[in-house]
Amino acid sequence: MSEGDVFAALANPTRREVLRLLLERGEQPVQRLADHFEMRRPSLSEHLRVLKDAGLVTEQPVGRQRFYSLRPEPLRQVADWLGPYEQFWRARLADLREVLDGLPDD
Amino acid sequence: MTESTAIALDQFLPHPPAKVWRALTDSDLLARWLMPNNFRPVLGHRFSFRTTPRPGQGFDGLVHCEVLELDEPRRLRWAWRGGRLDTVVSWTLVPEGRGTRLFLEHSGFDPDDPVQRGTFTLLDGGWRSHVWRRLEQTLTALP
Repeated sequence: MSEGDVFAALANPTRREVLRLLLERGEQPVQRLADHFEMRRPSLSEHLRVLKDAGLVTEQPVGRQRFYSLRPEPLRQVADWLGPYEQFWRARLADLREVLDGLPDD
Repeated sequence: MTESTAIALDQFLPHPPAKVWRALTDSDLLARWLMPNNFRPVLGHRFSFRTTPRPGQGFDGLVHCEVLELDEPRRLRWAWRGGRLDTVVSWTLVPEGRGTRLFLEHSGFDPDDPVQRGTFTLLDGGWRSHVWRRLEQTLTALP
């Protein structure tokens, strides 16, 4: 799963709304989600598939129903999109401190 | 949302500004804490830092830089370009007690970049409200 998949999944308002519902109401059967959106199930299923491919939801069959729940871990990379650069600079600043500590003051 | 396109860090260094300035503008010293380079402290000088290539991200391992500002021993600014980045790195040195407070700003991360744009979409409208906060709380609670 690439970063791009997560961003593409989040780019759609229906899919963001699905995530909001799952966040606030917990696990939901697909029919209840479809009712919320007044959307035909095949259309909603396509959105759910994109979310699942991006690793943002998990699907659990219970009897004849499928339940979806939020899997927030991939959102980390969205929340921390500048994180790698910040970590890079923090490490470099620590190295700078060491270099300075080893230099004469002039 | 401009703050989302920049990284700002600062650190106190128990060394005088002139010495910190030297570590920022001497090619050999820069190589010791940042990356190998052909920097010279000349306004407009184009130079590069060499690091590990990441072909998957379209990065050949060279950060192409240019000295945009050189105000000894207060302020140093470099263009910082490589891979998908076209950014600016600014160093500001402020005397503090017996040492120096060094401010770093790395700015110009591009909201039009497809990867970065996702964040802006996410922070639009309703997502800036309680939904985003609750997501952040959820993320914070993760191991």
